[in-house]
Amino acid sequence: MNLDMSVRFGSLELKNPVVTASGTFASGREFADFVDLQRLGAIVTKGVSLEPWAGNASPRIAETASGMLNSIGLQNPGVEAFIAKDLAWLSEHAPRLPVIVNVSGHSANEYASVIERLERESSVAAYEVNISCPNVDAGGMVFGTSCLGAAEVTAACRKLTTRPLIVKLTPNVTDIVEIARSVEAAGADGVSLINTLLGMSIDAATRRPRLARVVGGLSGPAIKPVALRMVWQVSSALEIPVLGMGGIMTGEDAVEFLLAGATAVAVGTASFVDPTATMRVIDGIAEYCHANNIERVSDLSGALIES
Amino acid sequence: MCEQADTPASRPALERVRVLGNERIAPGVGILTLHAPRCASEVRPGQFVHLRVAEGRDFILRRPFSVHRAQDGALEILYQVLGSGTRAISLLEREQVLDLVGPLGRGWSAPAGLAHALIVTGGLGAAPLGMLAEELAAAGVAVTVAMGAPTQERLVARGLYEAVARRVVLATDDGSAGERGFVTAPVQRLLAEGSFDQMYVCGPEVMQRLVAGMAKEASVPCQVSLERLMACGIGACLSCVVSTRDGLKRACVEGPVFNAEDVLWDSSEVPPKH
Repeated sequence: MNLDMSVRFGSLELKNPVVTASGTFASGREFADFVDLQRLGAIVTKGVSLEPWAGNASPRIAETASGMLNSIGLQNPGVEAFIAKDLAWLSEHAPRLPVIVNVSGHSANEYASVIERLERESSVAAYEVNISCPNVDAGGMVFGTSCLGAAEVTAACRKLTTRPLIVKLTPNVTDIVEIARSVEAAGADGVSLINTLLGMSIDAATRRPRLARVVGGLSGPAIKPVALRMVWQVSSALEIPVLGMGGIMTGEDAVEFLLAGATAVAVGTASFVDPTATMRVIDGIAEYCHANNIERVSDLSGALIES
Repeated sequence: MCEQADTPASRPALERVRVLGNERIAPGVGILTLHAPRCASEVRPGQFVHLRVAEGRDFILRRPFSVHRAQDGALEILYQVLGSGTRAISLLEREQVLDLVGPLGRGWSAPAGLAHALIVTGGLGAAPLGMLAEELAAAGVAVTVAMGAPTQERLVARGLYEAVARRVVLATDDGSAGERGFVTAPVQRLLAEGSFDQMYVCGPEVMQRLVAGMAKEASVPCQVSLERLMACGIGACLSCVVSTRDGLKRACVEGPVFNAEDVLWDSSEVPPKH
C-alpha cells in the first residue's frame, strides 16, 4: 500500500505533517549532524525580532515532572543577522525545506517591520506570529491574552503579506477559542497551539525560585493533555487549519493531535531529549498508518470517534 | 597533543552505549565506564557527553558530563550524586544500555610551544582535566597540579594526576590531605615561584573566578571550564549561556572551556544540581 504522508496546511503543501516547534530547533544547523533536515514537513525557526534581543538572566531552565520550564526570553540576533546567517544557511543546505519564520515583537509595529523585511527574501514559505511567549515583559503573551491585541497584531501582519500567516496562541487564557476566532477574523491562515503554560519551580533547600525570572513556560509530556484538549476545541470551532503541539515525543502522540483535529504537528521539547525525535515521529506516524490501513495521513485529521 | 582552538571539533553523534562498570570511589562520588567506541575515539580533552538516563522516569532531560578519560573504546565519567539524574546514574549496572550524544563542546587547547602547564582542580573539577593531563605529559609538557577538595577521600583522580604530573600539591578543607584550606592558597604560591605558560582550571565557579584573577595578576593565560544547566547540549535551546566580553556564548558549543579573560563573572550563578 502506498502511503500519502502529504498534508495541505492552508495554501502550504507539506510532504508530511511534522514540523519543528519554534525555539527548540534553532534554525536547523545545530541538528544537521543528526537528521536529514529535508525530511521535515517544514522548519519553524527560532523567534526573530527586529533588533537583537539579549534574553533573560540565568538560570533559564528548570526540570519538572515529565517536562521543563524555560525562560529564555526570545534571545535572538535580530532579523538582519537571521537573514544573513540562518536563512542563507538553510537556502544552501536545505533548499527544498519549507521555512516558516517565527516572528516576535514588542509592539504590533515591530511584528509588522520584521515581516516587511522578510518579504524581500524569497526563501520564506510562511510566517508564524508569536503572540504567546510568556517570558517577555512587553509583547508576546500580552497580545495573545486579549482578543483585541491578538487581532491587532494579526491584522498588522496580514496587510503586509500574501504568504501564509499562522498565529501561535497561548494556553494561558480563559477561553482559547475566542482568541482563535479573533485571529481568524483578522485574517490568519492558520493557528498553532499550544505555546508553553506559565509555571514556576522552587528549590525548598534554598527557598529560591529555580528560574532567575521566577516564572517560565512549561513544556514537554506534562502539558500534552491540555494541548490536546485545546487543539480539539479550536479545530472544532475554526475553518482555518490548526498546527498542534505540546509534549509530542512519539509518532503515536502526533497521531493523537491529528485525531483531535490538527492538520499538522510540531515537535518541540522532544528535540532536546533526542535530537532525532522529529525523524522518529515521522516514522512513527507512517507505522501507525500502515498498521491501521490509512492511505492518506490527511484522513486522520479530526477523525476522532466521539460517540 | 591537544587541539588548537581553531581546529574544527569532531562531529557529535547519537550513540548507543553499554555500561562496563560503575563504582563508588568516595562518598557520593562514582566512576561510570561506558563502552562507547565512536565517542571514545573522537573525544578531545575537555569535551563532554550528554547522557540519557531518563527513559521510563518522570524527568526527561539528558545530563551533561565531562569525559574524564577515554581509551580502548571506553569512556570514563566521574559523577557526584546531587539530584535525580545523578542518582539514576549511580544505580546503573553492568551491561545496561543507554544512549549518549557526543562528543560535544569545545575542549582545552594548548598553545604552540607549551612547556609548563599548571592544572588547578576543585572537587569534581578534577574530572574534565584528566585526559588533558595525560596528553600533555605524553607530549613532554611539564605538568604541575594543584588539587582541592573537602576531604582526602574526595580528592578524586588523585592517582591519575600523581602518575603523570611532575608535582601535585594538595589542599583539603579539613586538612586530611595536604594543607588545610582552599586550593587558592597553594596556587598563589605556585604562581609566585613558578614559570607557567598556561593554566587550566575547573571546579566551583567561585574558585575558578578567584584563580582566574590570580592568573591575570601573574600574566599567565588561563582557561576555565564552566558548568551550566542545559537542555539540548547542541546549541539550540540557549539555556546554558555564559556572559563574555564578546556577548552571550553557549557553554555547550562555544564552551564549556573558555579563556578566563573573556568571561564576565557573575557571582549570582547557582551551581546546577542534576
